[in-house]
Amino acid sequence: MMVGSDKQKTLQIYIPLVVYTLLLLFPFYWMGVVSFKPTSDIFDLDLNPFWVQRFTLENYLYLFENTEFASWMWNTMVISIVSTALSIFCSICIGYALARLKFPGSDFMGIGIFLVYLVPPTLLFIPMAQVIGTLNLFNTHWALILTYPTQLIPFASWLLMGYFLTIPKEIEESALMDGCSRIQILIRIVLPLSVPGILSATIFCFTLCWNEFLYALIFMSSGDMKTIPVGTVSDLIKADTLFWGSLMASALLGSVPVAFIYSFFVKYYVSGLTASAVKG
Amino acid sequence: MGTFGIRKKITFKMNSGSIQSENFLDRESSLGVLLMLPGLILLLVFLAYPFFLGIWLSLTDTRIGMPGEFIGLWNYTDLLEDDIFHQTAWNTMIYAVVTVPFKALMGLGLALILNNKIRFSNPIRAFVMLPWIVPTALSSLGWFMIFDPVFSPISWLMIEMGLIESNVNFLGDQILAVTAICWVNIWRGIPFFGISILAGLQAVPPELHEQAAIDGANKFQRFVNVTLPQIKGILMITSLLSIIWTFADFQLIYVLTKGGPANQTHIFGTYAYQIGLFGTEIGMAAAITLYMFPILAFFSIFLLRYMRKTA
Amino acid sequence: MEKVNDNQLKSIPEETAENGVTRRQIIKTGAAAGAVALMGGFPNISSAQNKTLNIVRGTYFIPGAQEIAKQQAAEFGKQAGVKVNADFLNWTDLNTKIGAGIQAGGIDVIELWPVQNHLYANNLVDMTDEAEEVAARGGGFEEYVLNSGLVNGRYLGIPHGNNAGTIAYRISAFEKAGVKHADKGGMDMTWDEYFAVAKECKKMGMPFGQSLGHSLGDPIGFCYPYMWASGALEVGDDGKTILFNTPTFEYALNKFVQAWKDGYDETGTSWDDSSNNRAYLSGKISSTFNGASIYYASKRRDDGGELMNDTHHMLMPKGTAGRYHEFGTQTMGILNNSKNIDVAKEYLKWWFQPENFDKWWRIQEGYQLHHVKNLADDPMWQDDPKMGIFKEIPKYGRLRGFAGNPNEKASLAASKYIVVDTFAKAVQSGDAKDALEWGERQLKRIYR
Repeated sequence: MMVGSDKQKTLQIYIPLVVYTLLLLFPFYWMGVVSFKPTSDIFDLDLNPFWVQRFTLENYLYLFENTEFASWMWNTMVISIVSTALSIFCSICIGYALARLKFPGSDFMGIGIFLVYLVPPTLLFIPMAQVIGTLNLFNTHWALILTYPTQLIPFASWLLMGYFLTIPKEIEESALMDGCSRIQILIRIVLPLSVPGILSATIFCFTLCWNEFLYALIFMSSGDMKTIPVGTVSDLIKADTLFWGSLMASALLGSVPVAFIYSFFVKYYVSGLTASAVKG
Repeated sequence: MGTFGIRKKITFKMNSGSIQSENFLDRESSLGVLLMLPGLILLLVFLAYPFFLGIWLSLTDTRIGMPGEFIGLWNYTDLLEDDIFHQTAWNTMIYAVVTVPFKALMGLGLALILNNKIRFSNPIRAFVMLPWIVPTALSSLGWFMIFDPVFSPISWLMIEMGLIESNVNFLGDQILAVTAICWVNIWRGIPFFGISILAGLQAVPPELHEQAAIDGANKFQRFVNVTLPQIKGILMITSLLSIIWTFADFQLIYVLTKGGPANQTHIFGTYAYQIGLFGTEIGMAAAITLYMFPILAFFSIFLLRYMRKTA
Repeated sequence: MEKVNDNQLKSIPEETAENGVTRRQIIKTGAAAGAVALMGGFPNISSAQNKTLNIVRGTYFIPGAQEIAKQQAAEFGKQAGVKVNADFLNWTDLNTKIGAGIQAGGIDVIELWPVQNHLYANNLVDMTDEAEEVAARGGGFEEYVLNSGLVNGRYLGIPHGNNAGTIAYRISAFEKAGVKHADKGGMDMTWDEYFAVAKECKKMGMPFGQSLGHSLGDPIGFCYPYMWASGALEVGDDGKTILFNTPTFEYALNKFVQAWKDGYDETGTSWDDSSNNRAYLSGKISSTFNGASIYYASKRRDDGGELMNDTHHMLMPKGTAGRYHEFGTQTMGILNNSKNIDVAKEYLKWWFQPENFDKWWRIQEGYQLHHVKNLADDPMWQDDPKMGIFKEIPKYGRLRGFAGNPNEKASLAASKYIVVDTFAKAVQSGDAKDALEWGERQLKRIYR
């Protein structure tokens, strides 16, 4: 680990850092600038596009008054929260089962769950549309609440399994000796000790739900049922007119919740992310 | 990803099996199955079944609203003669593979910077992750406007500085369009590589560095001989994951170009979407997506093996 | 005559609609519609209690049209004692929605775009009787309706016209380029003349603009007519022979490639349907192919009518093989898995009565072209001379897939953007011959 004591070394670190930050954050700055400009300014090519000459909230007002943005936000929240809850529930069960229990097929299950990465939504969406149609779930929250976990459970299970394994077996064994049932052990002992892992898995699942696009695009057709990414991309272009200001406003506002929630759990998100790479 | 953990577990299980008494085993096995059930049912209905349904569909000439008949491998062979499909496959390869070295390099740079005692390191870490955290469809919309043929601020700036005369055709020129989508993909992936490599850097025991310094190695030599070997594993795993995920991409391309201009940025996902949902050819679209499977399998198995080896 | 009650009043939008239609007019419409329904002996649908009629349409560009359609649907519901859901989806969502409706039900009345009546022929109720009634009342269908509305001699939905595109241009730019009578609109140009104007305009810093990207409207609306006007077809009337790579078209495509460099905004290969609107409205281009949306947007601008006054329309230029517009009729159809076919039929019969339909049609001031000959002479056309030329478009209407049927092969070719990509490849590489050969190969595979 390098310790920068010279002014020069500090510059060697801070200047590249500034460059990286500008590069990585510029699009969000841009979205902000455009969203606070009146439409006529956006279309005025003589004005400097990099900052706001006349500040206005009209794009945001338009977003809330003339589009179904509020519905999109609601849908995305509900779907993300319920899918995440469902996934975490299933993943805790699976993770614990694979970590601690011996049962027929457990070896195969472990690899099987990993193999799920072979079937991403882009591979499954065509037949999936048929399944959702047959179950008559088109244009309902359930279409997404039931399908998102398939993308979340594999990773979350693996993550939680790893955490459960780090809990000393002795604690559980002595509880077993004391006559506790395994379920009680899971709930009273293992879970409280795995809170970091659960938080990591939860925040991971939540950000993935928010980011999902393809299934939401195909399964939700009416404006008031869409999620934010899909609604922003498809409904802010009326016939052939693009509402740039509101489009950027929607994109920015749509990013805020997940960025906000993530910011509280950065540590957990990062440890979840690196678990995949480091722990291997 | 999970197999390494499983291996260790199997050893554990053997041990635990010997400690526990016989009557627990029964409970254990039935409890185990019970716990697996909720997740398994979801995965069976919404993952396994669609997968096999997809295989079936790809062997028929199903269209939207018209049930299809079995036609064997006709869709697959037909695609092999489809120019646009060739282009799509080629585009996907380029897109998935070419972006990786850039993501790795820039991620490495970011990791090296963050691996220092700097002020505000926590907020900074939160901020630099944003391209990865924020929904791709939304950040791609930002880039969509930044690359707009009329309103691009980049074009504006370059014209103001007198570097060019007319707006840049970012998304309409073949080379520029491919570059644009690769760039947005790289931009999105830098945080992922950065944070993962950072974790790896921080896992390097400081004694190794100190030892090398004592031996007279300079910073660069230390980097090459101490740091790189330690993070080789992470780089490999992160890169493989990145290839697998990029292969299965959709929203980035859909928002930026929808596969245009003239199919030059089509990838498997977007082409299948166009054929299936606009061309109504469901069977053909299913076949397109299934062509992805062997490639995904190849990289996944490679990843699996690599992780087992380094375990 | 049914009195309009407070609830109905509240369901009417607060502001005046885009083009100044007042609430009073809309109320009058509703009341009139109700009166006619009552007087016209509204059929007794006793079993219509507790039924829900699901109507799915695309969003209408003119907000007033959407409001009227919604209000009329509610009006019908009250008359028939049926709950009515009127959904308006954006264009790209309609496809998936139809697929879902066919598979799982839930849609009774659906608005179909051209070719879709062919594509989903197996899933639509035969509406020939009802359609012919509408035609008889209206003085007969226009020819383009016969070409695009009939599927093997039957109507699988009642045709109701479509919105069409043509060439919009800046009068001042055209005058500077030496075009006579540019302020009168409706000029009769050949493609050569049009390209010559483009060259002049580009020299002045205001090129023409055209989308050659992968979007549903403008690219197809431009490229197909140019192809037809240059003596080429996707396929012959035997539905098999590809007549795409002809010498006249190659010659014409080369001309276009040259014109692209000389007179067009060359970023057009990345444009979608909205890019030319933006470019025109911000003064970057002087002419483009578009629907009436540019003109409407210019009317709403805060510039004292400057852009609106400077905008006019003309038909597509003529080529060696004539003048064409890619154009077919939309139809209102009923899915045959609907549980409410009778009610749906009653709704459509009611809506197509001139007293109802014409109000919806007129509020669009020409954005929606007419389906019956009587409306060709409607006084509405006199309201705004700038829109006058639109009513000529149906004469030149031809549908994708010509001269074969507008069936799934035509649809596949269009959704693969084969014709559009031929143009895009040609301007990118400068090699029209190569692009044509590519396009021909693709078409051959589809029409095997």
